[in-house]
Amino acid sequence: MSQILTAEKDIYLPEPADVVRAEPMTKMEMFFEFKLSSGRPLGHMPGQFAEVAIPGIGEAPISISSSPTYRSGFQMVVRNVGNVSAAMHRLAPGKKVGIRGPFGTQFPVDGAMKGQDLLFVCGGIGLVPVRSAIDYVLHHRKDYGRVTILFGTKSPAERLFVEEAKQWAAQPDTTFLETVDRGDEHWKGSVGVITTLMPKVKVDPARTVAVICGPPIMYKFVILELDKMGIGKDRIFVSLERHMKCGVGKCGHCQINGLYVCQDGPVFRYTDVAEVREAI
Amino acid sequence: MDKPRVAIFDFACCEGCQLQIVNLEEELLDVLSLVQPVEWREAISDQSDTYDIAIVEGSITRPGDEEKLRQIRSRAKVLVALGACATMGGVNKLKNNFTMEDVRREVYGKDGSMPHLDTAPTKALDEVVKVDLKIHGCPINNKEFAYILRCLALGKTPAIPNYPVCVECKMRGNVCRYEYNEICLGPVTRAGCDAKCPSAGFWCFGCRGYVDDPNVQAAREVMEHYGKTMEDLKGRLLLFNSKQEATENVK
Amino acid sequence: MSIKKIGPAALERWVDGLIGRQTVIGVQAKGDKFAFAPLAKTSALRLDYDVAVTAPKAFLQPPCETLLRFNPKGYESVVDEQPFVLFGVHPYDAAAILQMDVVFAEGQADIHYLKRRAQATLVVSDVQQPSANVFAGCMNTAVLEQGGDVMLTRIGDAYLVESRSDKGAALVKSLAGEPDAAPADLQLRKKTWDDNRKRLRRHELKVKPGDLPALLARSYDHPVWEEKSKRCFSCGSCNLVCPTCYCFNVRDDVRWDLQSGERVRTWDGCMLAEFALVAGGHNFRKKKPERYRHRYLRKGQYLFEQHRQIACVGCGRCIGACVTKIANPVEIYNRLAEGPR
Ligand SMILES: Cc1cc2nc3c(=O)[nH]c(=O)nc-3n(C[C@H](O)[C@H](O)[C@H](O)COP(=O)(O)OP(=O)(O)OC[C@H]3O[C@@H](n4cnc5c(N)ncnc54)[C@H](O)[C@@H]3O)c2cc1C
Ligand code: SF4
Ligand code: SF4
Ligand code: SF4
Ligand code: SF4
Ligand code: SF4
Ligand code: FES
Repeated sequence: MSQILTAEKDIYLPEPADVVRAEPMTKMEMFFEFKLSSGRPLGHMPGQFAEVAIPGIGEAPISISSSPTYRSGFQMVVRNVGNVSAAMHRLAPGKKVGIRGPFGTQFPVDGAMKGQDLLFVCGGIGLVPVRSAIDYVLHHRKDYGRVTILFGTKSPAERLFVEEAKQWAAQPDTTFLETVDRGDEHWKGSVGVITTLMPKVKVDPARTVAVICGPPIMYKFVILELDKMGIGKDRIFVSLERHMKCGVGKCGHCQINGLYVCQDGPVFRYTDVAEVREAI
Repeated sequence: MDKPRVAIFDFACCEGCQLQIVNLEEELLDVLSLVQPVEWREAISDQSDTYDIAIVEGSITRPGDEEKLRQIRSRAKVLVALGACATMGGVNKLKNNFTMEDVRREVYGKDGSMPHLDTAPTKALDEVVKVDLKIHGCPINNKEFAYILRCLALGKTPAIPNYPVCVECKMRGNVCRYEYNEICLGPVTRAGCDAKCPSAGFWCFGCRGYVDDPNVQAAREVMEHYGKTMEDLKGRLLLFNSKQEATENVK
Repeated sequence: MSIKKIGPAALERWVDGLIGRQTVIGVQAKGDKFAFAPLAKTSALRLDYDVAVTAPKAFLQPPCETLLRFNPKGYESVVDEQPFVLFGVHPYDAAAILQMDVVFAEGQADIHYLKRRAQATLVVSDVQQPSANVFAGCMNTAVLEQGGDVMLTRIGDAYLVESRSDKGAALVKSLAGEPDAAPADLQLRKKTWDDNRKRLRRHELKVKPGDLPALLARSYDHPVWEEKSKRCFSCGSCNLVCPTCYCFNVRDDVRWDLQSGERVRTWDGCMLAEFALVAGGHNFRKKKPERYRHRYLRKGQYLFEQHRQIACVGCGRCIGACVTKIANPVEIYNRLAEGPR
């Protein structure tokens, strides 16, 4: 414990970062690229998040959406829902923010996912953290088997990464399917909740690893479908969200029973949370 | 950026909340560095018809007030209710426990039936128009007022507590009034005053109104435990929480 | 290190000397109750107190503290490094502080707590008057056999003073000329300890503390959560008075220039309705029974799984603080031990 009392680093002190890009994506979401002012790479892995600080407003945990293989900075997508997110929407290139992190667990791109067929199931801004893993996997394409990406949003106007998704779909052995809860006059694609896409994909359950990220109500239903497809519970990874204040396992806000989402998560192997009552 | 134009209005109240703003003293200059007042009877006299923020004090007690409030609403981008009278009817709602006939007679004696003394049941502002923000308290806490103003200027939604006064009371290290067998409304009252009354040795009489989900159902057991009756409790609730939904549920 | 025996006059000389040199936070009367506050003179010290209204953790993790300052140039850390003595801490509260030391040091260390803690000298004092609700005897925290910097035990009119660390040794240096405690005095101290283990049991826990984690783990669906929480005000008093609760909120305050200000952390509690609320309105612990259960499970199971210690030291504060009388851990644990109904 001696190392501890001499700790000098303040875990709550944000590090300055510059806004490199700030571009609206949809009515509610804005895309950002940041660069730590020190020039140091953030050093994250797919699935991790960082606390973004705006002086006078506060801090919010935001997933890192770019792959670590993208080296000129790191990217985020933020939905305008409250104080920090609204203040981020007022940012423009040249402004500064504070960053703490990266924090939390990662999608096991170098572990359980390696060499496997991958099934990504994303709802709404759930695609944001998963994009980091998708880009990582497609960057090391030979290391993985078939890649299937399922994406559901409420309406066509809320779809994210529309152009990038076309590039994903153009990669060898990669499928991208999307659906919307409600279409509009121009929408010709699938209509229905995300689970309506699942019967459309054929997977080899024994060599498939599934990754789920979306709104709280989505998990239960997707897991039921994955079960029907024969994918084992230990081959499913979920990324969960909770109220967070500190990101470092102290403030207590992110607890799911005895787990801390900021430390033990946000990415969990499903078998580790299946019996945790508050989890899903 | 242009300073937001702010107008202050008052209906039935003691104007004590406006006084609290004046009491900010040297900080008033800071207030003026953020906003431009355009209509404020207490302090300045020019009249204006458009404003970004309308701060409205007092409750609606006369039939003509409703129309005036609707006009204010239609000219303001943001309407802020200032103080208990405006946010929930406050002490003025006491009279809703009686018929209007009785109120007139009680207040004005035999002149009570004259038409200019026309009175109606008291309403909080949000019973008439949409209210964007409530600044609670009787009177308001001017530190909180200043905080809210800075938040609005920053484009930030102020954090107005939705937890009971007990939280702040415990942070201040007070001995609970119940330890002295006094009925305190802290457990159902919205914090934000820094537990002013219990910190001064008094019970909380609920001037900031209820939290969103006050557990008034627990009241009977609490009263029994401390050897009090439901009538004792209701007497205490009358002052600020007359005719509030939760008060009606105290059974 | 030898154990000294000092009379009232020596105690007064010693503490007055300390007050002259540094801040001493000592336990004193507050109306008919007791509280820790800066001590002006030894005569105000009330080592015969029953329990302090607010747990002494408030001087290590204050109800409201500045973590950072910011201005247009950026953020800077604010750490409090004023040395002080916390004088008269009861063993159960000291046990709680030792738990907090682990919490804030493990994983990513929290310098705001740790630096303040490093400056604190803990003078622990054995309980002379048990409070109305204390059950430290059931939680093995009635006596602090090791830990703390100085240990005080009252023997008749005198005090035995044991230094337990370098910081403690520095604090008692001026007592070098005082007599050492005799074997008979140590016998009396042992008797005080044995007595306190028996006396500090105003509520009798029918389960061994070591069995609590398993008991709680199988009581997740017990009806008691629903039943009791019907009376809960979600007022957080049971959290805020607890010496082992450390959850916090963080918020920014700006000055009138809207550019500079402070990031502050304040006490928070899992019993408050919006503790697990996220933007957009989803509340991950929306219902009262869920929050009510969480507090007990957190103290008796989750934190035990993390640190191998029950996060309840039996101070009894929550029992008194709960206006509606549903926060008594002993009552709940005993009820669970009776079985599923
Ligand atoms: C691991 C993780 C990754 C996330 N990734 C993204 C992302 O990539 N893009 C995105 O738009 N959103 C993401 N969120 C949600 C995002 O954190 C919240 O929308 C955000 O905190 C809201 O803050 P606010 O100040 O705008 O809202 P307010 O309502 O003003 O929130 C105040 C504070 O409460 C806490 N809080 C409120 N809602 C949440 C929440 N949903 N999750 C955690 N803390 C919350 C935060 O501390 C926040 O500062 C993520 C959340 C988590 C836990
Ligand atoms: S005095 Fe009132 S506000 Fe304070 S803790 Fe007791 S009930 Fe709550
Ligand atoms: S303690 Fe109660 S009555 Fe007093 S100011 Fe606060 S809310 Fe109003
Ligand atoms: S749970 Fe209650 S008795 Fe136990 S340490 Fe906390 S306040 Fe004291
Ligand atoms: S989770 Fe609840 S019981 Fe545990 S430390 Fe935090 S506030 Fe206290
Ligand atoms: S002190 Fe009692 S009423 Fe208040 S939150 Fe705790 S259990 Fe509920
Ligand atoms: S966010 Fe504070 S403990 Fe996880």
